[in-house]
Amino acid sequence: MERRSLIKMMGAATAAAGTSLIAGKASAAEKVTIALIPGLTADGFYVTMHKGAEAAAKALGVDLIYQGAAEWNVSLQVPILDAVIAKKPAAILIAPNDKQQLIQPLKKANDTGIAVVCVDTFIGNGVFQTGSGDADFPISYVASDNVLGGRMAARALAKAIGEKGKVYVSNTIPNISTTDQREEGFKLEIKNYPNIEVLETQFNGDDANKAAAQFQAVLGRVPDLAGVFGANLFSAAGAANGAKQAGVAGKVKMAGFDAPESIVAQLKDGTFELTIAQHPAEIGYFGLVAAYAHVTGNPVPTAIGTGFTVMTAANIDDPNVSRYLYKSE
Amino acid sequence: MSERQPILSVRNVSKHFGGVQALDKVSFDVFPGEVVALAGDNGAGKSTVIKAISGVYPYEDGDIFLDGKRIAFATPQEARDNGIETIYQDLALADNLSIGANIFLGREPMKRLFGILPAIDRKRMAEAAKETMKRLDFHVDRLDAPVAAFSGGQRQAVAIGRAMYWNARLVIMDEPTAALGVPEQRKVIALIQSLKAEGKGIIFISHNLRDIFEVADRIVVFRRGENAGERTPGTVSADEIVRLMVGK
Amino acid sequence: MAAPQLQVNAGKSILIRIAELRAWLFLILLIVFFESWARAAYGMSFIVNLYNIQSITVFATVPLMLALGQTFVIISAGIDLSLGFVMGLSSVVAAHMANIAAAQLGLGPFPAMMFGILAGIVVTFIPGLVNGWLIAYLRVPPFIGTLGMYGVARGSAYLAGGGMTVAVNNEWYSVIGNSRPFGIPVLVMIAVVAIIIMHYLLSQTRFGQHTYALGASKAAASRAGINIKMLTMRIYLLSGLTAGLAGALYTGRFSAGAPQAGEPLLLDSIAAVVIGGASLFGGSGTIWGTVAGALVIAVIQYGLVFIDVEPFWQFIAVGTVIIISVLVDQAQRRFIGGRQVE
Repeated sequence: MERRSLIKMMGAATAAAGTSLIAGKASAAEKVTIALIPGLTADGFYVTMHKGAEAAAKALGVDLIYQGAAEWNVSLQVPILDAVIAKKPAAILIAPNDKQQLIQPLKKANDTGIAVVCVDTFIGNGVFQTGSGDADFPISYVASDNVLGGRMAARALAKAIGEKGKVYVSNTIPNISTTDQREEGFKLEIKNYPNIEVLETQFNGDDANKAAAQFQAVLGRVPDLAGVFGANLFSAAGAANGAKQAGVAGKVKMAGFDAPESIVAQLKDGTFELTIAQHPAEIGYFGLVAAYAHVTGNPVPTAIGTGFTVMTAANIDDPNVSRYLYKSE
Repeated sequence: MSERQPILSVRNVSKHFGGVQALDKVSFDVFPGEVVALAGDNGAGKSTVIKAISGVYPYEDGDIFLDGKRIAFATPQEARDNGIETIYQDLALADNLSIGANIFLGREPMKRLFGILPAIDRKRMAEAAKETMKRLDFHVDRLDAPVAAFSGGQRQAVAIGRAMYWNARLVIMDEPTAALGVPEQRKVIALIQSLKAEGKGIIFISHNLRDIFEVADRIVVFRRGENAGERTPGTVSADEIVRLMVGK
Repeated sequence: MAAPQLQVNAGKSILIRIAELRAWLFLILLIVFFESWARAAYGMSFIVNLYNIQSITVFATVPLMLALGQTFVIISAGIDLSLGFVMGLSSVVAAHMANIAAAQLGLGPFPAMMFGILAGIVVTFIPGLVNGWLIAYLRVPPFIGTLGMYGVARGSAYLAGGGMTVAVNNEWYSVIGNSRPFGIPVLVMIAVVAIIIMHYLLSQTRFGQHTYALGASKAAASRAGINIKMLTMRIYLLSGLTAGLAGALYTGRFSAGAPQAGEPLLLDSIAAVVIGGASLFGGSGTIWGTVAGALVIAVIQYGLVFIDVEPFWQFIAVGTVIIISVLVDQAQRRFIGGRQVE
């Protein structure tokens, strides 16, 4: 919770910077256009991020273009990016679908004078404006600190299983910056608990059916499995269903990531012990503000971290917690 | 033979495609137990006339009688329902199905499973297949084998067997030996003899004059959509047939 | 005139039998492999283990549902690429309609669930009929027609779900999706019923027989008087319906309708049919083969996790089995020239 307040402070500072910019903008004659390309459109996380960006755009008088693919796929995202570049916005906020494969396509945008801001996911190593490497050109990276999110999940899960036993990470596919970082953070933090053993990570390709079977197979071999960290929604939902099928729901503790509205019932019935909610509206809001600040000639931090909220059955009815549920509309 | 009623009687049938006169007042008869060979160069009208008989094309002038009744079928299916079976050069068999399944394709016999559920009666199909193939002097050991496992001549026998089983009155065979090796051609000739013995009328189209002379009772020669003459194999030489085909 | 003989020698016939059973042979080999490994490395049994059997059969259920419909399509020499998203569409509709039935029509949980499942299945009539119509009447190649429907069904599924998974709060859905009376998961019971019905349709009815004929030769089927347009419509309708059922079951299992639920399963469904002995050229395949094919895929994926092998080996293993399957099929065609289906 300490960290949350720290992040809040940071958010407040950036928001203040945004407000001061509105004054500066009054002199600018033409309207600024900024595009937001989500990782995928069909996802409450990005829907909520879009709302945050919209709120900032409205406050700053920016035209917001929102275009994305229905699924997480580099070969779908790149053509959309190219189409957006053709519209020549002043800046593009993007959640790149791959750390490496989006570097060249985004470089093209940068070369034509469009400022690039990474939101949620990043390219290269996520460290920008260093003057070295071929992927340092984005202005800023605005995201949940996913390593931190993984660490928070590890701490909460460790507590739930009494700081001992065997756990594993249920993950989607490798080489997605966010889920990789969550797994990394989870594994780093869990090292502080000498009595917890982390088993082989299971990759399910976003197939909940497969994630469920993987859970059952691991449990078959390791009957004393204590908990699972699902690094994204399908991974977590799949593993939780595996536990239900195996009749160990509630016994093997499930830590999820992300917070669609359906998570409330699942926290309450014990399907999930806890979930880590990101603050996607903040990502969208601060991303847009950062891009606008850069376009209007103001300095911008190269990394902006937004916060997390740990949701459990005990706190989910608290409006300060439930307001971080991802909304579909 | 002539005092009997013909199975099929084609009278002054004409047909054109655009400006091309494909058939011009063509006439011939087919009697029970008789093989009539249609001879002619490419484009002489052999294929057009059989397609007019079997319902693939409508014909324009003239009449076609089947057992004395005028016919003008709209579809091949209608022709088949009225006892005209056509055996195509490419056989039209489903290679993955057994002999019985091919004979009955589209008209499968049904039984009741547990007294309620309709189900294909494979036993009946197999028995009918065995029976039919026996009539053609083919003795089948494995009735469940797909016809793909058989040779070209054997498959031709299946196609002929299908025509026989369904009691076709008239069997039209379009180049039945074209795709076969010589020994297989002999088998098909033998099959045609079996059909003849059953009293079917047979129209036989071939480029192979030797086959025609061996199997036909009469040879009807076409040239450019017209009747060019009619001969019986015993009284004519191959050279004369060729002369009729090309017009001297 | 010597009597020509129609004979197929007995040696070949044994070859045919073995080739037909190849998916079951694969399955047995895999089980032996995992059993030995599990015993050697962990001192536990892989297959004499009710828990594993339950887990694997539940795992196989949803991909198998898609594969059952796909079997008919592939036998008819077609392919249905839209199944994954048709399943997603059904899943979303089943969730939505159950919610609406409970909230707005005031139905109890059980009728609300039935309403949802029915709606999910009925909605798949549309993609099924359109697929059939495109392929049968407009002569669009199946690969292209169903690829188009893949996009349309995907978009519709996302639209229907408002771009998100649709949560459903209905205890009966969970009964269907997750309960196991007498140790037998309800999902598996439903799958067994579906297998029996599909096997009956394919092996005992004219519809099934004509599907084989259509796959072997369109011309032969058509000249035999089969209405191949209607037949094609029915085949794609059926495959849509199985995807609809799969979607409704998914909703039951995860208490949510997800537009992308079936997408990762499409290739698994095709793989199951091919491993099961069907040829993508049409004309061959059986329901029992497809069942074995789906189990082969499930056993590989489950087994490798069970024995704790690096996860990427799963892809290699499934891919290898598909390649071996196709090679066996081709070898068989060369030696025998085809295969019987009954």
